[in-house]
Amino acid sequence: MIAVVAGILSLTVLGIPVALAIERGTRPLCALGLGFLYGSGLAYGTLLMLSPLGWTLPRVATAMLIVTSACLMLMLRAPRPEPAAARELARGFALPDLLTLVTLAGFACWVTLAPLWEWDFWAIWGLKARVFAERGAIDWRFLESPWNLFAHTDYPLLLPLDLDFFALAGGAWDDRWLGLFFVAFAAALVLIVRDLAADELTPNGAAAVALAVAAVACARRAGTAEGPLIALGSAAILMLRRAILHDDDAALRHGAILLGLAACTKNEGQSLVVAVMGGMLAAGAGRRIVRLWPAAALLLPWIVLRALHRLPTDLFSGSPLPRVLERFRHFGPIGRSLVAHLANPWLFIVSLLVLLLVRDRGRERFVRTTLGIQTAIFLAIYLETPNDVFWQISTSWQRVSAHLLVPLTFSAAMVLGRQKAEGRDEGRKQKAEGRRASLHDDFG
Amino acid sequence: VSGRRILAAAGLVALVVAGIDWQYLALPFVDRSGLAELARREADRQGYPHYPRFLEAVRARTRSGQSIAIVAPPMRWSSGYDYAYYRASYFLAGRTVLPVIDRHDRAHAENLQAADFIAVWEQPFPLAGHRVAWRGEGGILLVRE
Repeated sequence: MIAVVAGILSLTVLGIPVALAIERGTRPLCALGLGFLYGSGLAYGTLLMLSPLGWTLPRVATAMLIVTSACLMLMLRAPRPEPAAARELARGFALPDLLTLVTLAGFACWVTLAPLWEWDFWAIWGLKARVFAERGAIDWRFLESPWNLFAHTDYPLLLPLDLDFFALAGGAWDDRWLGLFFVAFAAALVLIVRDLAADELTPNGAAAVALAVAAVACARRAGTAEGPLIALGSAAILMLRRAILHDDDAALRHGAILLGLAACTKNEGQSLVVAVMGGMLAAGAGRRIVRLWPAAALLLPWIVLRALHRLPTDLFSGSPLPRVLERFRHFGPIGRSLVAHLANPWLFIVSLLVLLLVRDRGRERFVRTTLGIQTAIFLAIYLETPNDVFWQISTSWQRVSAHLLVPLTFSAAMVLGRQKAEGRDEGRKQKAEGRRASLHDDFG
Repeated sequence: VSGRRILAAAGLVALVVAGIDWQYLALPFVDRSGLAELARREADRQGYPHYPRFLEAVRARTRSGQSIAIVAPPMRWSSGYDYAYYRASYFLAGRTVLPVIDRHDRAHAENLQAADFIAVWEQPFPLAGHRVAWRGEGGILLVRE
């Protein structure tokens, strides 16, 4: 356990200078969450680049320290944050925060009940990590073998390489306490959500939003890439939302890097890049799409390596058109199956109702469009899958639909927060008018 | 207090209530020993609870880089051979693990011939040209002569 905790702390400490180099004025809660997420990205990038040389702890640690030191230098050269921004550093602790902490503690209890037991961990993510850890490098022979297609050898490698970082730090592969790594992803996302929500809501409201999304961030199937993707993808969308709404360049940089890391985690992260571009176009931020280049730059090495090693995907095989046409004719049962296997249906229903029914003057257009495009891509893949579509939905939709929930809930909460604030302002205005009228009666 | 404000507050409360996972909230405060036992058995619940012990023993008797073919009772892919093969791939990481049937239930005798070892789980498997390297934990490890 000590090795995993030390590994998580190391990633966070190494990642914080990256967060501060991007935005020196990053607030502490956000810097902590971003620090861990960037640390996980740093471990991925370092192990990917050092793989041809072979991994040793001194070599990997030195490379990571060089990157972190460079980021520290960049941070020190950046102008100091203004005192007004510094005052905002303190964001009060509120009662719902306590329940959020208990939720995270409950998740920690859940994922450390036993060595990670999910099929997708020991047959996909953990398997690849363990094979690489044995070899001390990425084992391309394993990935190229036709016998290992079951391990989805075409999936990007952020999670397996991060798990290898823990094997390196601990001196051997040990899956007993690796669950804590997934708690760290959930905690990082909750910290970022809490901080971003505090820009638009009261401390109590922000704490309530963090509580509402905490259980989604704590993806129950620990050991799979759902938790990391939910954390990286959701943080990316929320940062880009902030960039668009507040014309915030630093948030745009954070969003682009997080989006790239999400794309290095799962294929759904790659489709999210396309969805985000569509969202930005819809929100009138089309000219800023080019600023997403860090996302493409982060993904590119894996795309090139995957092509060079000819790693096949099972997503597209045979001729898809007849399958799609056939399934369109049975869309009723497919739709019912999608509804039946939705992740947290009540949270979906409430959030969707808010976003569909409450007028928000287009402020949430970016999030709505991004999630709409991502959902359309998911549906297209279900219609196209060479597997039995109902089996595919029953084994994946609950996991995949959870990817959408954090930004959806956040967006709905912000709409409600604005309604509440406008209602308060209206009430104050009415009271003031009433007072004026009564003064007029008394003295007029 | 305006109606709009009340509705918005009610919406926020609904979001929070819908989002809370009561099981996570309860988990730190309850006895988790039964749950831990279930979690320990979960990976092998539909397969063979003692299979990992056999695989650990095979791992201890083989070296990184060697190849091992897996023979297990359900000699049909989706009836459990997939589990046996995937599980072996995890426990025997570093070795080249080879299946003897594929996902279309076609036999691959060439993998039996090519492997340095054959790990046979819970079934008699006499094979010419191989000798028993180790026996235990419900299985046999055969090595090419």
